Amino acid sequence: MKKSILDLYPTTKLLGVLFVFISILIVPGYAYQYAILPICMVIALLAGVLQSFCSLFFKGVTLIVLFIFIIQGFFYPGETVLWSGWIFSLKLEGLNYSLLLTSKIVAITASIILFFQITKTKDLIIALEKMGTPKKVTYVIMSTLQIIPQMRKQLNVIMDAQRSRGVETEGSLMIRAKAIVPVLGTLIISSFENTQERVITLESRAFTTQRKKTNVTVLPKGPLDTIVRIVLLLLLVLIIWKGVIG
Amino acid sequence: MSLLSMKNVSYRYPINNWKSLKQVTLNIEAGVFYAVIGAGGAGKTTLCSVFRGFIPHFYHGELEGEVQLFGKNLLQYELADIAARIGYLFQNPFTQISGAKETVFEEIAYGLENLGVEPAEIRKKVEDVIALLKLEKIAESNPTELSGGQKQRVAFASVIVMDPEVIIIDEPTSQLDPQGTEEIFRIIDLMKQRGKTIILVEHKMEWIAEFADRIIVMEDGQVVMQGDTQSILSNPKVMEHGGTLPQYAEVGLKLLGEEGIHQVPITRKQGELVFSKLQKGGAE
Repeated sequence: MKKSILDLYPTTKLLGVLFVFISILIVPGYAYQYAILPICMVIALLAGVLQSFCSLFFKGVTLIVLFIFIIQGFFYPGETVLWSGWIFSLKLEGLNYSLLLTSKIVAITASIILFFQITKTKDLIIALEKMGTPKKVTYVIMSTLQIIPQMRKQLNVIMDAQRSRGVETEGSLMIRAKAIVPVLGTLIISSFENTQERVITLESRAFTTQRKKTNVTVLPKGPLDTIVRIVLLLLLVLIIWKGVIG
Repeated sequence: MSLLSMKNVSYRYPINNWKSLKQVTLNIEAGVFYAVIGAGGAGKTTLCSVFRGFIPHFYHGELEGEVQLFGKNLLQYELADIAARIGYLFQNPFTQISGAKETVFEEIAYGLENLGVEPAEIRKKVEDVIALLKLEKIAESNPTELSGGQKQRVAFASVIVMDPEVIIIDEPTSQLDPQGTEEIFRIIDLMKQRGKTIILVEHKMEWIAEFADRIIVMEDGQVVMQGDTQSILSNPKVMEHGGTLPQYAEVGLKLLGEEGIHQVPITRKQGELVFSKLQKGGAE
């Protein structure tokens, strides 16, 4: 099962995300939208990525959801007061609106995080190129993702150099901010310097040639892709039909 | 007929008000290994950039004179079209990884992908190069996570796999340890044996003496000396032009004429012969 999920063609998985996006806007209420999260967790479990999925999801979304609940619950206009204290009052209308809003955020982020957990970036890039996305665009996506850990490494090297010169880099927020601000300048300038050489590297690999490019990695579409796509389409038709009728 | 040539070529970078190349006339013959030496700022990298077409296609500036690549004027080429015929490597191993690929195998394949080679053929060529350069152990590693020496070898492989006729290498070992340097020269020697034309900018004279066929000495944007390796590296004038000589040659120059030493040794092997002669002479 794990292999079947991971081996799905990237655009099939992307269609799954798109299905979530469309369906949560059509289906009323918030129960269906919230149900997307456990569904994603089950898929993550089957794909063997539950731990990283949960870690990313809860770290990234909990604060946002909590913030929306507080803001909307207390400040959304309404008359049904559930609780009040000092100048604040929690209203039912605000709570309902928070549930509607956060359910969509939960569904969208859960589906996106799951997508990136079960899709290799390089597979996505190949699929995008096959769809006709220019190599220049896919290069920007790929190199940006690759450059982040490299810049982090570079930052650590610069911070180590600062530390060895006696600059305080640890302690309170203010101390850390003071240490990191001047380092950022060096980091950005060195990145600019590297860009010129990187361009030469790309030119040495015939990056700007007008010939039709190929890809050494072949990504096959399996029968499961067709099944998943048909099921997604049928579900979408059903949801739209129910939305129109009911 | 020359493979690459320059006739009265002068060049000024856009931000400079001096010329980095001055009236350079040079012919590069097929299958010959050229080493370009000289002090920093002599114009060695600029010379390489002109032959690779980065000047004037990428750096712009003012280029005078005539540059011919494979019998055709440099200006008639698109920069990307030169990639298949002239490979280019430079000193910084960390920026020679494209950033577009997640494994060494894919990184090496990248140039061929851009040239539109069929996947099956790419796989075959990449596997061959990996075996040739002994990169099997790191073939599935992320190229951004390799050491400097490994990155440089991957960069080499990425160029070699495109099977260019000429390989221009600008100070490939300046950031490498002795082991990394040896690995790089092993690869350069392999390319020489395969009949590639090589233009190498390098300061490690012992290695140049060992492998290069001809030496080009540059100073202040000009080619001040050129000739076969033995005659140039045994000539003390090289030092007057800001270059250095191999240690064996420096010692050999002082011993010239003594105990039947008539030729300045430039390589380790020649040096050992001279010293054994001296030892024998001393013993007698």
